[in-house]
Amino acid sequence: MTRSGMIRPRDRRRHAAALASALALAALAACGTSSSDDGGGGGGDAVDAAEAAAPLDPAAKVSLTIDCMPPATEKAELRQWKEDVEKFNEKYPNVTIEGKQTDPCLEPPRFTAMLKAKSQPDVFYTYFTDLQQVLDNDGATDISAYVNDRTVPALKDMDPGVLDVLKRDGKLYGLPCSNYTMGLLINRPLFEKAGLDPDRPPATWPEVRAAAKRIAALGDGTAGFGEYSAGNNGGWHYTATTYGLGGDIVDERGTGAAFDDARGRRILDNLKAMRWDDDSMGRTQLLKWGDLQKQMAAGKLGMFLAAPDDITYMVQNLGAKYEDYGMAPIPGQRATLFGGNDYMIKKGISSDKVKAAVAWITFKFLTPGKGQFDWARTKADGLPVGLPQPAFWTGATKSADDKARAASSTMPVANFRAFTAHPVQGRHEPPKAQEIYKVLDTVMSAVLTNEDADTGKLLDTARRQVDQILANQ
Amino acid sequence: MSAPVLAERQPPPSAPAAPAPRSPRDRAAFRQALRRNLTAHGFLIGAVLCFSFFSWYPMVREFFLAFEKRENGATVWAGWSNFTYIFNDPAFWQAWRNTLLFTGLALLLGFAVPFVVALVLNEFRHGRGYLRLLVYLPVMLPPVASVLLFKYFYDPGYGLFNRVLGAVGLPEQQWLQSTDTAMLSVVIAATWMNMGGATLIYLAALQGVPGEQYEAAELDGAGILRKIWHVTIPQTRLVLSLMLLMQIIATTQVFVEPFLLTGGAGPEGATLTVVQLIYQYAFTFNNYGSAAALGLVLLVLLAAFSAAYVRLSRASEE
Amino acid sequence: MTTRTLISPAQLARPRGKFLYWTAFVLVVALFTLVFVGPLYWMVTSGLKSPQEFARTPPTLVPENAHPGNYADAWGVLDLARLLGNTLYYALGALAFQLVLDVAAAYSLSKLRPALGNIVLGAMLLTLMIPAAVLVVPQYLTVLDVPIVERNLVNSPWAIWLPSVTNAFNIFLLKRFFDSIPRELLDAAAIDGASPLRTLRSVVLPISRPVLGVVSIFAVVGVWKDFLWPMLTLPDPGKQTINVGIYSLAASVTENWLLAALAIASLPTLAIFLVFQRHIVSGLTAGSLKG
Repeated sequence: MTRSGMIRPRDRRRHAAALASALALAALAACGTSSSDDGGGGGGDAVDAAEAAAPLDPAAKVSLTIDCMPPATEKAELRQWKEDVEKFNEKYPNVTIEGKQTDPCLEPPRFTAMLKAKSQPDVFYTYFTDLQQVLDNDGATDISAYVNDRTVPALKDMDPGVLDVLKRDGKLYGLPCSNYTMGLLINRPLFEKAGLDPDRPPATWPEVRAAAKRIAALGDGTAGFGEYSAGNNGGWHYTATTYGLGGDIVDERGTGAAFDDARGRRILDNLKAMRWDDDSMGRTQLLKWGDLQKQMAAGKLGMFLAAPDDITYMVQNLGAKYEDYGMAPIPGQRATLFGGNDYMIKKGISSDKVKAAVAWITFKFLTPGKGQFDWARTKADGLPVGLPQPAFWTGATKSADDKARAASSTMPVANFRAFTAHPVQGRHEPPKAQEIYKVLDTVMSAVLTNEDADTGKLLDTARRQVDQILANQ
Repeated sequence: MSAPVLAERQPPPSAPAAPAPRSPRDRAAFRQALRRNLTAHGFLIGAVLCFSFFSWYPMVREFFLAFEKRENGATVWAGWSNFTYIFNDPAFWQAWRNTLLFTGLALLLGFAVPFVVALVLNEFRHGRGYLRLLVYLPVMLPPVASVLLFKYFYDPGYGLFNRVLGAVGLPEQQWLQSTDTAMLSVVIAATWMNMGGATLIYLAALQGVPGEQYEAAELDGAGILRKIWHVTIPQTRLVLSLMLLMQIIATTQVFVEPFLLTGGAGPEGATLTVVQLIYQYAFTFNNYGSAAALGLVLLVLLAAFSAAYVRLSRASEE
Repeated sequence: MTTRTLISPAQLARPRGKFLYWTAFVLVVALFTLVFVGPLYWMVTSGLKSPQEFARTPPTLVPENAHPGNYADAWGVLDLARLLGNTLYYALGALAFQLVLDVAAAYSLSKLRPALGNIVLGAMLLTLMIPAAVLVVPQYLTVLDVPIVERNLVNSPWAIWLPSVTNAFNIFLLKRFFDSIPRELLDAAAIDGASPLRTLRSVVLPISRPVLGVVSIFAVVGVWKDFLWPMLTLPDPGKQTINVGIYSLAASVTENWLLAALAIASLPTLAIFLVFQRHIVSGLTAGSLKG
């Protein structure tokens, strides 16, 4: 069960972790309203652009359904959601937000079913990687005309790469609520035990290899570095590793594989050396998402490639402690894989509804210092603060947000300094990601389970198969 | 598991549609037949509706799906493109090789082991109920439990199997993590999980072997193996050949065991089976057309195989 | 046991034969117990161990410190009560639907003989020829959007119950059993003025207990053991079956809890088996032999 969604099965509702107390709408209100739309407009795409660009008229009477409201078990998050709806209604008293508690927020089979049956709520939660599937089912409104500096004031400081993922042919189909970039997750106690400095985590693959060897030397079934090789997760991580070294999986024109080169072989040879020469990757392979987290939470694994909220997962589900972990940028630092989640707006709803949806998403998820970015409030509610995620701000907004996060942090943020101080350019997944990951999974499982694997031959075969996938569209 | 019996002699329907009634007597008979038919169909309708929606309609749909694809939110005619897609997928041939390997190994183990076990159990005059219970025990476990147990046993690091091998001085194995042994490991687990049903059926069949034939064979000086070859097997042939067919059809469709044991593909795709691939097409790539096309290929091959098998076994009986 | 089998009684009666028999018997009993009960023993005892003891090399045969609390923890953490409750609900519902609709259909086909009944039966039996794996995809798409009524059955128990009725094998078993009920019995009832429904209830069903038992057990066990279909159609964690629920939570709990959960999950069907052992065995063999 490994759609892109399943790769990060717990990447959910984290964005609901915090909410503002204050007048997040000041900026919006300042823009004034020139809308004369009476709410009749049928289908977002047909509305004229100037019309659409104006923020929602506070007088407009709109009812919005939206999924991924925090479940009852997450009391603090749910309370914040409700408070936010109230605050939102102070500005827009005529907008009714009908939250649906979908827990978890997105379950791939349910998501597929929902799109097929066109039963998604007005505003629906997706992963970045779901865009193609949504478009195939004609499920989302093109919101390009609705999103601008007036409707989303912080737009200019948002990482353009993040918005790009939600675009197809220049049209925007969603607004992000959280994102992550992949880095190197380290187990600080194991680093110390092995005589390594956890404040100076490895920055290159040779350094990773050396550190892994020392950690594995602790014995008692401890592995230095862990890697996936099943359920398409291996291909996913091979992609991240390639990005880290400045490489690519698919060439710029999107017609051929780009990983069958000296760099690709170096990646595989290094893994092979760690697995077989150093024996620093443990003996159990064919692992997938969840397995490495379990090993690390049990104190048996030193490092693996991960997103910051893997730590949250380990803390919430596996009894781990935040202070035991640190993050470093992905080895190589040339670029890294990113991902995240967003809200899209159902196709065919009225333009007032679309405007209300954009206003609500902006209010709750895209306002620096407010909404989910009011870190002081999150801390006051006893929720964790300090993970470098979401991370879609740039420029002045980013520095301000980083400062606010550090000021309210509930965990030693210094542990993530290596990661946050040197943000690595995020890149999205290749086209036909899952099909390509399946091919690359084979490569990863070969290297990690077969001592005599011929890395050159493996890459050659994989290249031909990926070329085929790309030609076979 | 349990083998359905395919040939069934049907009595002719006793209520053919009545010809147009002429006399009052005819009309009364017609009315009665009509009422009887209405009642009969009333009893039938629930099941027929379920079959229509969840069996017959999907069968038809499967065929159409294979020739359709999604494009910009609409369903369009795809011609043979779903088929060219699967034939061009390198995983297609690998999946078929793996499935054949699985079927072959499953016949060696899954077909032979239950028969031998049944032969042995049938000789015991004591504790038969207990042994029979043991063999059938795994069949009653939730498959997730059995499979996860084997996953622990197979682990090359802390797994029980390697510890046992190590304790008796044999070289440790990589089990699921080597292209050489992955499929075999899956078959061993699958055999353990599923052999109970076949064993019980063989045991029942063995009860039907007439004892005099053994005696006659003994008079000819036959040993145990010759008795098995000349008496037991011919006498249980019908069940054996039916079970063989059922087993081949079932093992070609193996899904749960490799899916849970190796996450689907296994080392270098060594445990990727045809049904895994159907699953991947449909639920990982959202490519229902190709999934349906591969399903049709599987259907056609299995149907052709079954037909050939039935013909051959008929021919050899004559 | 008086039937003559492979090895002649005369051979067995000899001292050497006796010795060999008992040696083989003890060996086989020991081996089978090890092979078939051993894993279960390992599962139950591992569920009692602490995580540290579970990870120890070599493993301890008997838990040094039994932690029955693991079972309580697993019960709570994996919410087994809900998973088991869900599964029971689906299984009993499927049982009810099959007993009502399949029995009625088999009765109709066997005794009421409607026009075109043979074609219907043939079409039903035809579904046995279609590999289940092939049908999964179109069946899933059908459940997403059932034609005519236009309902999405995902995450609803109907997605389990209604397709479970399409069990041609059960209909076949039932029909064959009903075929063996003598006509005269039914005619007598008809003369007394009993309606077909009454005849079914008061004449046919009482004598059909054995086959109903077999069909019931298969219906319940079938739902209990199914994996792919409930995984696809009941993705909501609150509605999952025990198999799917444990599978999706397996990665997020420690080993000893997981094994405790597996042991608990195995209990219901094992109990069914131990209680209804004879029915199951006879049902299995009845279906396959008397063709």
